[in-house]
Amino acid sequence: MHLNRWSRRVAGAAGLIAGLVAVAAGASACSSGSNGSPSAGATQVTITLTNDGCAPSPASMPAGPVTFTVKNTTGDKVSEAELKRGGTILGEKENLTPGLSGTFSLKVEAGDYTIECEGATTDSFPLHVTGGTAQAAADPAVAAKLNAAVAGYQTYVLAQADKLGPATTAFTDAVRGGDIAAAQRLYAPARSYYERIEPVAESFGDLDPDIDARAGDVEDPNAWTGFHRIEKALWQDKSLDGMTPVANQLDADVAKLVALVKTAKYQPAQLANGATELLNEVASSKITGEEDRYSHTDLSDFEANVDGAKQAFMLLGPALQTVDPQLYTTVTQRFADVEDALTAYRGDYAGSGYVDYSTVTEAQRRVLTQKVDALAEPLSQVAAKVAG
Amino acid sequence: MTTGPADGAAPPDAGPADGAWPAGATAQADTHGSADGAAPSVRRTSRRALLGFGGAAVAGAALGAGVAAPVAWQASSNAATPTDIVGFFGRYQAGIATPAPARLAFATYDLTVGGTLAQRQAALKALLQAWSLAAAAVTTGHPVPGDLTDPEAPPADTGEAYGSSPANLTITVGFGPSMFDDRFGLAGRRPGALADLPRLPPEDLDPARSGGDLCVQACSDDPVAAFHVIRNFARLGRGTVVMRWSQLGFGKATSNSANQPTPRNLMGFKDGTRNIDGADRAMMNAHVWVGGETDQPWMRDGSYLVVRRIRMRIEAWDRDFLADQQNVIGRHKYSGAPLTGAAEFDAPDFAAKDSHGEPVIPMDAHVRLVAHENAGGIRILRRGYSFTDGMIADSGELDAGLFFMAYQKDPRSQFVALQRRLGAADALNEYIEHVGSGLFACPPGLRGPGDYWGSGLIR
Repeated sequence: MHLNRWSRRVAGAAGLIAGLVAVAAGASACSSGSNGSPSAGATQVTITLTNDGCAPSPASMPAGPVTFTVKNTTGDKVSEAELKRGGTILGEKENLTPGLSGTFSLKVEAGDYTIECEGATTDSFPLHVTGGTAQAAADPAVAAKLNAAVAGYQTYVLAQADKLGPATTAFTDAVRGGDIAAAQRLYAPARSYYERIEPVAESFGDLDPDIDARAGDVEDPNAWTGFHRIEKALWQDKSLDGMTPVANQLDADVAKLVALVKTAKYQPAQLANGATELLNEVASSKITGEEDRYSHTDLSDFEANVDGAKQAFMLLGPALQTVDPQLYTTVTQRFADVEDALTAYRGDYAGSGYVDYSTVTEAQRRVLTQKVDALAEPLSQVAAKVAG
Repeated sequence: MTTGPADGAAPPDAGPADGAWPAGATAQADTHGSADGAAPSVRRTSRRALLGFGGAAVAGAALGAGVAAPVAWQASSNAATPTDIVGFFGRYQAGIATPAPARLAFATYDLTVGGTLAQRQAALKALLQAWSLAAAAVTTGHPVPGDLTDPEAPPADTGEAYGSSPANLTITVGFGPSMFDDRFGLAGRRPGALADLPRLPPEDLDPARSGGDLCVQACSDDPVAAFHVIRNFARLGRGTVVMRWSQLGFGKATSNSANQPTPRNLMGFKDGTRNIDGADRAMMNAHVWVGGETDQPWMRDGSYLVVRRIRMRIEAWDRDFLADQQNVIGRHKYSGAPLTGAAEFDAPDFAAKDSHGEPVIPMDAHVRLVAHENAGGIRILRRGYSFTDGMIADSGELDAGLFFMAYQKDPRSQFVALQRRLGAADALNEYIEHVGSGLFACPPGLRGPGDYWGSGLIR
């Protein structure tokens, strides 16, 4: 979990959200004029944010691309508007103080949504999207392959979630039992199931920070929960005093996540965006050593992120081979390059399957970053190819 | 996905935003664009004329068929036509003879692409083609070609220069000695003049700020326009190259044009008073442009670039008394005049003695050692920029100095020979240290759309 990424979940994490393809964050607050203009053909919805509420206009529209423009005219008690469906945030614009405006764009399927604005007198407004679902692809053969990809990804996520539960419990049992050595060995394996599907987890509001926040991600150190809180106890404090409630909470949060992913549905572009996001996560927090700063098991998380990204990409492969075989070949080769680079660090440190990350030099980390960047760049082109 | 032009996302003067390039191209209308050369004094005028009176005729005259008119600009009657464009295409690469603008973004890149020899060669060619296409666009104020508006794709251009004038942006590419190994089958094409620089004491070179398979020099009066180039080139090259090091220059330190006032470097002295004027065709041919003497025809009309990151010991310099500073340089600090003269452009009198019989310009003064009269006629085209990278953490002193850049026909007989003289005797050595270095073969200019950097070398 990375705070920066979390705070811009409209653009990033929303790439893997049930029912929608989040396509791009709009221009930042105070965007105006031509630069922030949406693409041709998108339905325009204006949300006027005041202390009274955030009514969308129009409140009903056909399925397809929609650009929401949020304007805070006078509201000093409100600063954000969210698009939600079934309790999940699909898109939002935050930090809009009076006078500022911003946009976000999504492709929406038919269904009932809400626009919510915490702090307003009326904080929830309905939004109705009519018509059929968005076209996956014009070519029926490609559409069939994309449907198979989505189904395959659903199966993959469920399988990871099913393993995450028991692996987490094995870890938390050791924590509750006060067995530091056992808990250290079980930490990295449990996390790997989470890291493979992290973008999905991030789509469920506060669950990701509850499970995966790092010390710098929380304002109140006493409210810090999840894997990394226990990681600090295991490797830095070398004491599990007071960790039982944290372990219990982690079990509960993981159980909540497992239940939620069972209902999640995906679109092809979400798979691709989620894959890119996993690699961004590798570059921004694994290679820097920030993620597992106490345990130095970062390479295990690195591998899990790459695995999760590759799984999503491979499922899209048959469709992409039809749409853009060159891009398919490039991305496939670059995945192999990253995996080869990672293999060099295989080891048996702390149950992670890799070496202690603190032994990896700066020059070596730089090469790893460059290989991940070389993969993520073409991978970021895939979503638009498989979107309808 | 959206493939049409940006719907209102592009100002009318920004031209095609989504891959329609090349719809227009601007030819250099200065001495670069024409085989017989325009008179140096009309360089700027003719560039404006090119844009003002319609590019087709002038560009056609300069370069012949195959160069499109800058239709994107002409189509925008309601928008001001930028006058600060330096033609990208031409016989020579822009960014050498063309007047140096205020800012620099420089980067070197290492080729990391793997695969078979044929695959590596194809990747290198594709890189140079992609860079060339992007350069033709951004030097005329257009975004990097590709889609900008598909909501589901990352925009092809990173956007920070969007809608801004190129502000005299030039992009110059060079090939380092390390590119001519067996990775790309180029070992037999390495020019003799691209011999590795020898050790040139005193120096303390940081490998992390030296070398590189390729270099990109982006100069503009807008620092964002310059940075935009090295950033987007890195992105376009992802998987083929990685950036090795980069250097921003925040102020032009050296004049290379008679039309510009001579700037001052961070020592507070005017720099470039006796530099080669890029508009002086005879001087350029004699000292800068590679001619028929080359052992590698693909370098004809190119030039060799030497860069040196020269850290100034600023704190020590700043407490040196004025007379000594002037003796170290050999010039008056404020007027820029030689110690034997009254005005900046007075010729130095190296024979003049003072009342004690001592040379007025000391024997170890910087200007004496580098003066062509004293250095066997050696001249180079300097084009350096002042830099700072903040503070040196170990000492708390400023990390600042001169990012020295010089173009020449043959570094072996020009830069290396000059630097040997300086290394042995220059009074300035007490206050400077060479901490980074690079040598690059800059091929000739691009003939027009479709051509690419190094097309004579990499096919």
